[in-house]
Amino acid sequence: MRKVGIVGIGQSRFGIRSDASLRELSFEAAKASLDDAGIPLDDVQAMVVSVASDELSYALQPSAQVVDYLGFNPKPSFRVEGACASGSMAVRTGWMTVASGLADLVIVVGAEKMTEVSTAAVTDVLGRAGDFMWEYPFGMTFPGYYALIARAHMAKYGTTEEQLSMVAVKNHHYGALNPYAHMRKEISLDKAMSSFTVADPLKLYDCCLISDGAAAIVLASDKLAGSLSKKPVWISGLGLGTDTISLSDRRDITTLDATVEAARQAYDMAGIGPKDIDVAVVHDCFTIAEIAAYEDLGFCAKGEGGKLIEEKRTYIGGDIPVNVDGGLKSKGHPIGATGVAMAAEIAKQLRGEADPGRQVENARIGLSHNVGGNGQHAAVHVFQVD
Amino acid sequence: MEFRDFSLLVKDTKVSEFAEGLERGVILATKCEKCGSIYYPPRHDCPKCFSDEMSWIELHGSGKLLSFTVIFVPPEHFAPDLSETAPFSGYRYAPKPVGIVEMGNGARVMGWIPGIPREELQIGMSLTPKAEVLPNGRATIVLAPEGE
Ligand SMILES: [Zn+2]
Repeated sequence: MRKVGIVGIGQSRFGIRSDASLRELSFEAAKASLDDAGIPLDDVQAMVVSVASDELSYALQPSAQVVDYLGFNPKPSFRVEGACASGSMAVRTGWMTVASGLADLVIVVGAEKMTEVSTAAVTDVLGRAGDFMWEYPFGMTFPGYYALIARAHMAKYGTTEEQLSMVAVKNHHYGALNPYAHMRKEISLDKAMSSFTVADPLKLYDCCLISDGAAAIVLASDKLAGSLSKKPVWISGLGLGTDTISLSDRRDITTLDATVEAARQAYDMAGIGPKDIDVAVVHDCFTIAEIAAYEDLGFCAKGEGGKLIEEKRTYIGGDIPVNVDGGLKSKGHPIGATGVAMAAEIAKQLRGEADPGRQVENARIGLSHNVGGNGQHAAVHVFQVD
Repeated sequence: MEFRDFSLLVKDTKVSEFAEGLERGVILATKCEKCGSIYYPPRHDCPKCFSDEMSWIELHGSGKLLSFTVIFVPPEHFAPDLSETAPFSGYRYAPKPVGIVEMGNGARVMGWIPGIPREELQIGMSLTPKAEVLPNGRATIVLAPEGE
């Protein structure tokens, strides 16, 4: 298989985008990624689209809206889906399309419009990413599932509510420096700790935002990547893991085995280990998810994730800077866009082009970690520059 | 009782007898006739040996609480204007805890915990899953304190 490099990155502003539709958000991101690559869409041979939810878009094949609005017809396009990991599924599919030789130049577009429907409806739809047949009848929501993970993690490892809030404080600190972020403001530990309870023990500031937004990347084969970009960002490792639909059935409720499996595959393929990572974006849909990700990706031992954030070792200057773009928590989480935005952020970091105050100096190896549902899917990608 | 009276959304399944079990006051699981694996929630098909010859068994006894939460922001289906579908709650939404217990045979059972205040819940405590028919005719599972 051929090497595949990222040669263009783009993103729309994330937030409550009452000024734009799904297709218009996609256009913003796609245009930015093509401008960055310095090529017209005419040169691109295939498009992979990630829109996670038909229910939020009130439409089957929402990807067709995107393809047509960009004027891509009649070239090949396909949509992939894995709830909140849809974007990484699309990156993986784009990589496969180029690595296999099916196309030399592919654009991957991820988008979601989440604020057209009520918060209660979004809560309902997202909760049904879990076990719709056996757990939904108990009023399970996304925060509810992660609350069950948090409560078990706290009991088993002594993780505290303060440590959960510290994740939010860090991610808001960096999100404030990111012009594309949904909520660009610092928060205090007191504010996070005193916010209202969404699903005990998770409070408002433990939960990611409901956002609209889009992201896009342009992928090229090794030869083309070298001629299009001064600094192509190579995708050197890919991993994809799966786990039970019911949270109740997990081997260990405090561990996302899908993440452990995806990380193992990605590290093996890239020939590296967690200690080699210079910068990471992990799936912090809830603060407990970031703490579990530290452990399940091997950034620290199992059970020590709370300590890792308390000692600020995931800030820039620490052992491993994590979510210095604000994460899902502050940057926002338009579910179909997230995995693509993660790839774009790591590419930006490895090119040394992140905003002042949130660039990890001399970063050469980056990692993205993207979870679908409450761990039914997890994708881990490793990125490198020469 | 129809399966949807338990599931809210899913109407058709090969294990709809589960809902009839709740109506009779029992919690049903399935056992694979070929490899002996026990499934809760019940499955009609065994992913371990790919057999579809299953028999029904009843779950009895208590289990240990693995985790719990109280969900204050409910999904649309349980939101205040649909409060008749929010079990154990009055007109104003007053959510009750939900949790997961692990039974002696390894089965994990999710259920509402209406009988114990949140402050008194402890991971590892013993609770007994029980079938319960609600005033609105729907059926669900309750994790009850021992001795009740
Ligand atoms: Zn079997």
